Amino acid sequence: MDSLIKIDNLHFNRNGRAIFTGVNIEIPRGKIVAIMGPSGTGKTTLLRLIGGQLRPLSGQVSVDGNIIHRLSQAELYRVRRQMGMLFQTGGLFTHLSVFENVAFPLREHTQLTESMIRTIVLMKLQMVGLRGARHLMPSELSGGMARRVALARAIALDPDLIMYDEPFTGQDPISMGVLVRLIRDLNKTLGLTTIIVSHDVPDTLSIADYVYVISGGNVIGAGTPDELQKNDSGELAQFLHGNSDGPVAFHYPAPDLATDFIELSEGNSNL
Amino acid sequence: MINRIADIGRGGLNLIEAYGKAGILLYRILFRWPRITKNFYYVVQQIFAEGVLSLSIIVVSGLFIGMVLALQGHHTLVKFGASMELGPLVALSVLRELGPVVTAILFAGRAGSALAAEIGLMKATDQLSSMEMMAVDPIARIVSPRLWGGFISLPLLTLIFNVTAIYGAWMIGVQWLGFDSGAFWSNMQSSVDFHVDVVNGIWKSVVFGFVVTLIAVYQGYFAEPTSAGIARATTRTVVYGSLAVLALDFVLTAMMIGGW
Ligand SMILES: Nc1ncnc2c1ncn2[C@@H]1O[C@H](COP(=O)(O)OP(=O)(O)OP(=O)(O)O)[C@@H](O)[C@H]1O
Ligand SMILES: [Mg+2]
Repeated sequence: MDSLIKIDNLHFNRNGRAIFTGVNIEIPRGKIVAIMGPSGTGKTTLLRLIGGQLRPLSGQVSVDGNIIHRLSQAELYRVRRQMGMLFQTGGLFTHLSVFENVAFPLREHTQLTESMIRTIVLMKLQMVGLRGARHLMPSELSGGMARRVALARAIALDPDLIMYDEPFTGQDPISMGVLVRLIRDLNKTLGLTTIIVSHDVPDTLSIADYVYVISGGNVIGAGTPDELQKNDSGELAQFLHGNSDGPVAFHYPAPDLATDFIELSEGNSNL
Repeated sequence: MINRIADIGRGGLNLIEAYGKAGILLYRILFRWPRITKNFYYVVQQIFAEGVLSLSIIVVSGLFIGMVLALQGHHTLVKFGASMELGPLVALSVLRELGPVVTAILFAGRAGSALAAEIGLMKATDQLSSMEMMAVDPIARIVSPRLWGGFISLPLLTLIFNVTAIYGAWMIGVQWLGFDSGAFWSNMQSSVDFHVDVVNGIWKSVVFGFVVTLIAVYQGYFAEPTSAGIARATTRTVVYGSLAVLALDFVLTAMMIGGW
């Protein structure tokens, strides 16, 4: 299988707390791969590691044969031109209009004429249904609209790889349907390798070719959506079916409840 | 006791780390400046945002400081029968000291705090990260034009401050206290030396512009990406910026008067 991204034995810490302990993931070229997992397991962190914004503690991430953390800044930027990333928060430039936000990567990286830029920007905005909103400023957009603008911006340069961090949050059923279709179309027509990070189990399983579920610093399950749904190992089934009881902890690591309350009543808590 | 020593040590290390980070930031601003022609436009934009938009506060302050200086100067000079020296008194104190220092401190409050808040907020809302992911270096695209903009604006603002302050003094001295306008100007002209007084004042403002803007972009770029972090960054910009100006003013004055 031809992989665009290979993650080998990745370890990563944040403030001394282990986020990944030996993660192996392969993203095949031209496929839609979903990365799922409970909140706070490090899905966003994983995307930032792929994009080279964070350095692994050990192990490596390679994109198209380039080991990301060994690249010089110039090489890293060359690789990033082939990547689009949709941030969880959108990350739109608040001092630029919707149109200028989408035009930004074109102006920075190409020598296109103004009329060509206009054509491309309007085309991308049309795809996300916001051509009419091109004069608005980001502060005038709703959360869901801002994400769609960010999506249009992420695909402005027609990248080879696109990473969506929670594209579905804040979308109503209609724009959700449009987005799911858009993500699939971009993948099919342009052969865009796609990584989707999402909590939304049914929608994600419906478009993904392959799914990785991470939890507790490791991959706890991987396979095609069908394979995953058949698998009923504790952790995986708990996550896919959204049960609160099971091996996956819903709580952030904490001392056990009784100890915490005793400390409080003895008045020696540092809270 | 041990704890106190450890605190001092930690403070020292933090300070050295801050200088190191500022040095690296400066290196990246100065030595990674691709496409100068394209960035030129952004620098002009920043000269507008930092310089032109600070004009009103600079002009108003300059006018008042010049007027107060003339009144106070007159009050004191009269006692020594030296009221004809009003022009030189005002010109020398404004050109050598008040112009560069007051302009720099006002600049830290007006433009510096805005810079720190803007960059800090762009960081907190992932704008800098998404710029990086679009293969655009935020230091070259955002930080560098802001540093150059401040560096260029402050000396110009200082010149404007100097002119309005002297004009304010002229209004008080000539229009109100009734000095002879010709004597006011000619006394001033004969006692102000272009190199020693005017140029040295501008040199000060060049140094201040660089330091204040560097502090502002440093505080913004390394701000903790939260509302409290940004608030701290803007406060620190004004406090550290003003203190740096006053301390450097002493050093520079000592160097200039000592003739180093
Ligand atoms: N800047 C940071 N500094 C320190 N710790 C962080 C930072 N960002 C994230 N973390 C920690 O890293 C862990 C993983 O965070 P991450 O944002 O990758 O989670 P996630 O899987 O994307 O969660 P969600 O689904 O809620 O977006 C979290 O436990 C968080 O506490
Ligand atoms: Mg996340």
